[in-house]
Amino acid sequence: MSATERMTRPAVAVPVPGGAPQHYRRRRTRQIGWAFVAPFGILFALVFIVPITYAAYLSLFQDRMVGGPSFVGLANYTKLFGDAQFWDGVTRVVSFTLIQVPVMLVLALVLALAMDSMRLRGMRFMRVAIFLPYAVPAIVSTLMWGFMLGVRYGLFGSINGWLGTDIDPFRPSTTLISIGIMVTWAFTGYNMLIFDSVLKAVPQELYEAAAIDGAGEFRVIRAIKLPALRGSLVITVIFSIIGTFQIFNEPQILPSMVANSGITTYYTPNLYAFNLAFTGSQQGYAAALALVMAAFTIAIAYAVQIRGMRDALDQ
Amino acid sequence: MRLLTKAWAVGVALVTAGALTACSGTGGTAASAGGGSADQPVKLTVWSWDGTVELAVPGFEKANPGIEVEVVNAGSSTDEYQALDNAIQAGSGVPDLVMFEYFAVPYFAVPGKLADLGPLGAAELADDYVPSAWNNVTIGDGVYALPSDFGPAVMFWNEATFAKAGIDEAPATWDEYYEDAKKIRALGDDYYITQDTNDLFFLLSLIWQAGGRPFEVDGTTVHIDFSAPETQKAVAFWQKMIDEDLVNTKISAWSDDWNRALNDGTLASQNMGGWLTSTLPERAPDAAGDFRVALMPQWGEGEKVGAENGGSSFGIPEAAANKEAAYKFLEYFTHGDGLQPRVEAGAFVPNKSVLDSPEFQDVKNPYFGDQKTGQVLAEASNIAAVGWQYPPFFEWARSTYGDIATPFYTSGKGSLAEVLQTWEQRSVEYGNEQGFQVD
Repeated sequence: MSATERMTRPAVAVPVPGGAPQHYRRRRTRQIGWAFVAPFGILFALVFIVPITYAAYLSLFQDRMVGGPSFVGLANYTKLFGDAQFWDGVTRVVSFTLIQVPVMLVLALVLALAMDSMRLRGMRFMRVAIFLPYAVPAIVSTLMWGFMLGVRYGLFGSINGWLGTDIDPFRPSTTLISIGIMVTWAFTGYNMLIFDSVLKAVPQELYEAAAIDGAGEFRVIRAIKLPALRGSLVITVIFSIIGTFQIFNEPQILPSMVANSGITTYYTPNLYAFNLAFTGSQQGYAAALALVMAAFTIAIAYAVQIRGMRDALDQ
Repeated sequence: MRLLTKAWAVGVALVTAGALTACSGTGGTAASAGGGSADQPVKLTVWSWDGTVELAVPGFEKANPGIEVEVVNAGSSTDEYQALDNAIQAGSGVPDLVMFEYFAVPYFAVPGKLADLGPLGAAELADDYVPSAWNNVTIGDGVYALPSDFGPAVMFWNEATFAKAGIDEAPATWDEYYEDAKKIRALGDDYYITQDTNDLFFLLSLIWQAGGRPFEVDGTTVHIDFSAPETQKAVAFWQKMIDEDLVNTKISAWSDDWNRALNDGTLASQNMGGWLTSTLPERAPDAAGDFRVALMPQWGEGEKVGAENGGSSFGIPEAAANKEAAYKFLEYFTHGDGLQPRVEAGAFVPNKSVLDSPEFQDVKNPYFGDQKTGQVLAEASNIAAVGWQYPPFFEWARSTYGDIATPFYTSGKGSLAEVLQTWEQRSVEYGNEQGFQVD
């Protein structure tokens, strides 16, 4: 490569015959990309970013019946952190989550493994039957469970009558357990279906290899099925945490069915936000609460995800 | 966002103003304030959970050709208030007429969300209602709603159950009531003279009748005090009833359990609003012929003092589009010709013209063993004591009351007096936060 050779090369780019300018083509591809993202982007902005921004904006104001809204800065947040009723609700959903989620997921796991064992009859029917509660609206299921667990004239009244016991599922000390049963009933089938679909995707060869190696059913579960389920387990845990943190329907409806169930207007953070906004006309404070709960939920879900993924990588 | 709403509101105002000028240009002056006329039809939206309002619509539309009325059930009580608050805040979908329980009137009227009906003609109607009902819808000099149904506190008592306990007449005083309660309790496990699971409105009616006035409201100044001797007398009496297990604290009103216990006669009486007369037959069909209506027991021998328990009214939101037409319909079904079909369908109204009429007083009610219940209800309405006030933030306060009272009713620990004290404290806090001067 000599200097003269270099000199003969044209100093300016001449159009290559038959080829459009490179940068133009690249820009057009980029624009087409945006067009593809636009439907999602617009909807996302409309139903996610705008409402959250609006809530954040609202949370900086205090609504007063006399004098209307006034800017208060972060006062709603400082008030929230000192609000015993808020923490009461948070503690309740956290302890609820700690107990209900493991129980439900273990149950779903056992059911999914049982389905997958191919040793049961009427599996298709069972799968639908276990999933069906998920399709029942929470309001309907709460009413139904309210009647079943009702002590005076409900099913539990009869059970107490036969056994001579005096169990009341809707005492302040037992209401949360009853709600746990309702939620577990509704969501076990849903989680089971997730596990079931993952197990179906396990390659048949693995089982054949295991059979050749002489592995028993439990060995297969431990060595093949459970590791396969790990990823979906993380997902279901996250879904469940998000779900239980947002419990609302059950405590909202139960008080009108049973007396003295111990459900307060701040029983769960969501219920508290609802009551603050609508019976207390404290929209700003409710918005602050909702945002803090959202941040809290995202943080926990994120922690679970990171933890779950790291363990999966360790494997 | 707020700016946007404002711009939008201005836009709407301009368009409306344009339409109005166009109207007056063509000589349609009647329509200018939303009065309605044949060529400029007005459509009124009414939010009501009172089914009888619908019955007044055909007659009204016939008499007022320019106005069309649509009655919508936007939920009961709290649900509806929330919907209204939402609509007002959003600045769209605000109905022309809205049903309010009496206690909710100040909640909307004080912040200026309700129109003063005085200038529209309501001021002249004062003497046509029993005094206590009128007292419920006026704040200062303003009239913010018209009474549509009334809840004079009366006692529904099951004659058969009382007879079983060896009692042959309704208790005339609270002392007699206490003695009767013991006799009924002695009948067995499930027999109680009544039930109570933190029923705030009953407790307040007891205080009301005893002469206590725990809330004093003057503009934005609110005074809350449960320590007056009259108030304490009522509270102490009910405390004694609960302490001695004379009140069933497991069944809450309006529940399925409640219906069943009224039906089988194990709940011997209810001190409630007169409105229960119309729904008790559905709730307790098997007890037909057993129940009677009596005045609420009295605090002193030979006295005749009443109180209220519930009742509702209709008001016009300040943001409503057709106030004049709305008032026309309001007057029609709460005061004018629309009243009759509603009363025939079972509405219990505080209009003197109805209460004093022979048709109302002489009708025998077969469910109540052919008793002329109208006479008792009319008397209870006339003796309902005046001067009771609800604080503007009562809607919030009553939901909080449940939180505070439930532990007492479930565990029996503490006392009603302590519950009320905590309630007072929280209400004072909340009221001040909301910009009122509360002490």
